[in-house]
Amino acid sequence: MKIDRRSFLAFVLGGAAGTALSPLPWKLTDDLAIWTQNWPWTPVPQDGEVTYLNSTCTLCPGGCGIRVRKVDERVVNIEGMQGHPVNDGGLCTLGLAGVQLLYGPTRVTSPMKKVNGSWRKISWDAAIAEVVEKLSDLRAKGLPNTVACISESDRGTVAELFNRFLTVYGSPNFIRTPSIQDSYELALYLTQGVPAMAGFDVGNADFILSFGSGFIEGWESPVYMFKANSKLRDHNGRMDQVEPRLSKTAAKSDKWIAINPGTEGALALGLAHVIIKENLYNREFVAAYSSGFEAHKKIVIDGYPPDIVAKITGVDTATITALARDFAGARKPLAICGRGKGKTPGSLQEFLAVHTLNALMGNINKAGGIWAVPEPDYISWPELGMDNVASTGMQQRRVDGAGSDKYPHARYLLNRLPEVINSSQDSPIQMLLVASANPRYTLADSQSVAKAFEKIPLVVSFSSFMDETTVNADMILPNHVYLERYEDVPAARGFPKPIISLAQAVVDPLWNTRHSGDVIIQIAKQLGGPIADAFHWDSYHACLEESLADKWDTLVEKGYWIDEEFVAADWAEAFETESGKFEFTSKEIDALPQYNPLKAKGDETFYPLVLIPYDSMRLTDGYIGSPPFLVKSLEAYILQTNDVLVEVNPTTAKEYGLDDGSVAILRTPKGNARVKVQHYDGIMPGVIAMPRGLGHSAYDKFLAGKGANYNALIDVLEDPASGYDAAWGIRARLAKA
Amino acid sequence: MKQENSKKFGMVIDLDKCTGCGSCMVACMAENNVPFREDDTDKLLSISWMRVYTLTNGQPFPRTEACYLPRPCMQCEGHGGHSPCVSVCPATATDYDMETGIVSQIYTRCFGCRYCMAACPYHVRQFNWWDPLWPDGMERSLNPNVSVRMRGVVEKCSFCIHRYQLAKDRAYAEDRRELEEDEYQTACAQACPAGAITFGDLNNPEHAVHQMVKPDNKHGGKPHAKNTFRLLERLGTNAKVYYLSSRDWVRHAGDNYLKNEGILKHS
Amino acid sequence: MGWVLFPKLLYSQKQQPVAFNHALHNEEVDGGCESCHFFRDDGTYSGVPKLAQCVDCHEEMQGDSEAERIFVEEYVAKGREVPWLVYSRQPDCVFFSHAAHVILAEMECVTCHGPIGESESLKVYEENRISGYSRDIWGKNIAGIKRNSWDRMKMDDCSDCHRKENVNQGSVQTHKGGCFVCHK
Repeated sequence: MKIDRRSFLAFVLGGAAGTALSPLPWKLTDDLAIWTQNWPWTPVPQDGEVTYLNSTCTLCPGGCGIRVRKVDERVVNIEGMQGHPVNDGGLCTLGLAGVQLLYGPTRVTSPMKKVNGSWRKISWDAAIAEVVEKLSDLRAKGLPNTVACISESDRGTVAELFNRFLTVYGSPNFIRTPSIQDSYELALYLTQGVPAMAGFDVGNADFILSFGSGFIEGWESPVYMFKANSKLRDHNGRMDQVEPRLSKTAAKSDKWIAINPGTEGALALGLAHVIIKENLYNREFVAAYSSGFEAHKKIVIDGYPPDIVAKITGVDTATITALARDFAGARKPLAICGRGKGKTPGSLQEFLAVHTLNALMGNINKAGGIWAVPEPDYISWPELGMDNVASTGMQQRRVDGAGSDKYPHARYLLNRLPEVINSSQDSPIQMLLVASANPRYTLADSQSVAKAFEKIPLVVSFSSFMDETTVNADMILPNHVYLERYEDVPAARGFPKPIISLAQAVVDPLWNTRHSGDVIIQIAKQLGGPIADAFHWDSYHACLEESLADKWDTLVEKGYWIDEEFVAADWAEAFETESGKFEFTSKEIDALPQYNPLKAKGDETFYPLVLIPYDSMRLTDGYIGSPPFLVKSLEAYILQTNDVLVEVNPTTAKEYGLDDGSVAILRTPKGNARVKVQHYDGIMPGVIAMPRGLGHSAYDKFLAGKGANYNALIDVLEDPASGYDAAWGIRARLAKA
Repeated sequence: MKQENSKKFGMVIDLDKCTGCGSCMVACMAENNVPFREDDTDKLLSISWMRVYTLTNGQPFPRTEACYLPRPCMQCEGHGGHSPCVSVCPATATDYDMETGIVSQIYTRCFGCRYCMAACPYHVRQFNWWDPLWPDGMERSLNPNVSVRMRGVVEKCSFCIHRYQLAKDRAYAEDRRELEEDEYQTACAQACPAGAITFGDLNNPEHAVHQMVKPDNKHGGKPHAKNTFRLLERLGTNAKVYYLSSRDWVRHAGDNYLKNEGILKHS
Repeated sequence: MGWVLFPKLLYSQKQQPVAFNHALHNEEVDGGCESCHFFRDDGTYSGVPKLAQCVDCHEEMQGDSEAERIFVEEYVAKGREVPWLVYSRQPDCVFFSHAAHVILAEMECVTCHGPIGESESLKVYEENRISGYSRDIWGKNIAGIKRNSWDRMKMDDCSDCHRKENVNQGSVQTHKGGCFVCHK
């Protein structure tokens, strides 16, 4: 057939018309459109049955109730528990991002052992056998006291199991990680004679005076404090913030009082001066329920008149006087202290100064005041049968010096441990158990900490994550993460009532991990003798259920048990001191060094500036690293690419020729770091502020290698009154890179 | 077209209570499958439906003040539902729903021209420059009620519309047609530890948002309650997110006022 | 010729993992479709049953058919979910509320799913090689011609009905249904 021009055109046109009229192109276009909308690498989450399970968040000691949403077997979301006495539906950034910790890439998936510098997976049996062998060995040599344990808490069944194990094994070296809890407990003990936790009835206060506390930035139980702040706003209450930097708490306060860093205690005493001098204190309380008032009066009247305090603190006399009058004039004033989130215990004298300010106003154990909350007492296990080795071991001095003649009041002094180890020929600690702690990151002076830890022959980590301490440990016995395990939460920090909560396993363990409570019980059983006898439980779960006894059912059903009727003891019964009264001063208090603002370490001429840390709700700075959502939510003035920004007042920056956004080297006596300069009007001239929680070397790519670790730049500043770490900053210099 | 019982979902954010903690952002990310990247510090490229801005009064030390302002999608109604973004979308990928007052974004319909991003005066819209990827195993945390967005499309806050859909399902199963106020709440409002975010139906006089704002629905929803304001009020976007602040300078920062000009007074 | 060849090229033929007899099951249960395809308490729809539901009756072999043997041996005994191929599966961007249609609007299952409940065997699953979805979504007819209400499950089918029934016609752009009614 001959194809001429005419028939060719007819064919093409006919074909085109036919194709267009046929459904073919429309059908294919539709299919292709759907194809482009569903790339196979874009995940499609599987739908399923939704269930909600009640539990408790244990990512910080705040004790918030949570409601975990699951779709079939997947955990997809965590919400705050409505009606929970601590957080009533609210939840913090970390609690909300908790699912990322469960499914995150830095989980330790199996017991591991370090062989020639690299990790090897081993079986649980082998891991436990090895630990048992080492423990038997040390005990046989009569060195049980060379085993130590670091834990975030000393309350609750898991911490108590560790402590019980050490005791019956023969070591006094159970060490709780430092926080303002140390100082508050000691202040309550010295003035009121009670072993108690500090609770703050912030919801009923009408004037909160915060001496540098991050009241709405993670101080004590974060969400409880957020709620209290909102309540304060609803009732036209007032909150004043004393701090060298316009923190978020300062920004949201009614009055920000910028103060020379480290001098907050002097201001508290200055306020006491005005209150006493002008007779604004609670006469009834002081006359009938206190002792040592005259001596205290003499100290503040002679030593802290407004003009002297103004010189120390940089706060002018008019402000001091007005603040004292306003504070005393409030119906329910409450003074709080402990800087930022309260990770550093701080100066005991500063805590006493603030605590006695509350006493002057008579708001001890009163509505809107500070309450002595009794320590939880539900754990009553059988008496220990101690053998000779254990008794001898327990009579040895604590390695950190706590309770010794030099530090009679301190219970735990983890801040002293690196120095003690580094100054000895052989490490006085031969084996270290680390549970719910990451000291290689969180302790001040990271270099010394690292050096000390390297000297310890065997470091065993119980962490669920590859954190700094774990990466550098010798063996890992990984715990389940909090969503996979049962655990009691014996209190909520700073909450004014006794509350016990239960963290429940909402999902089966994803990996070959084991509950630390079970691991300790298993180790004890294998060691045999009186150690095994001290642990009669078949499993941790059995131990937990037995310990919580009649509260168990309530806890499983509701998630928490609260002593709703609790009111702090009446003044007549509240004080168990020698005098039976609140002691402004006493023999014990008099024996302590007097208040003095502690100076930051470093030579002033070489380090003309002062570096202070600040805490953010969008960064964790404890043993849990920030999950990806937190790092993502960071403000552009905290992190840029991998550089941390430090805040400098524009006048100071100009003095040193540092442009906004310029790269600089921050030097302190302990180290240096590359930083970016952020001009910020809200910081006192001469001061540099840096966020805590960055500069991780461990964890995933979303956190590691970003910014610098404040703890690597700072040194411990030992409080002469307690031995606790009271560092609020360090001297520094900042120069263009 | 407009039905009698139409809703107008809106939000009131109390800036006196907001602490700038970021819980709203994280709650939103977790609820809405927002992707994250190794370096998310360039905020022009980082996707976050809710973002908390820091405002300062510009005064030197020690008179400096700061305030934190959470910014979800404003769900602008404009005039008759012609919000800035809806008017420019050539793909009908974004739309205004007169029955809920919510500006929808359908990711599969969007072809990524980003006109809407240019049109939005609040920077609430963000573009997926990269494929959303989760570290191995972490995709198990994804919420099946919200579709995961693919590279090349624009996304934004939806007022957690899926929670509305699910709340209605529950109501139907219980033989109800109407929802209680607390049955439909956004993830941010629910999570806010300070209780600074209130969410509800602005058309319903019994809802807290209506009582807090007292909106004049005849005049573009202008707020009548004391200390309330909207962002860029004078653009006429008729936003459904209202703010509350007792500080003059904060309310002043809500729009581009001239230096000596008073704050726009309503009524 | 194209009408015959084209669908063969476009769709691949897949067999269901287990031969299932809807008619037989319908006789055994009292509650009709909802006996197995039920609403959960929260108003969401369970869809295709999970193994756990089937096990209630099929813990042991029921009868001696080959299909039953495969089901019990391969799935029940091994605790493996059956990878059913769902004819009505929609893309992830679709939000479909069974509650709104079945409970609120009191629609019959047949209206959208057809008389599948009366079938004695599952038909061949024809998977679109391009889009990955079942042929039932576009409909058997390549031209998209629809004879029954269940012949197609495209967006226009939803939208037409919503228009007729005046279900949320609040869209400003289209003057038709609002997008967030059926999308998520």
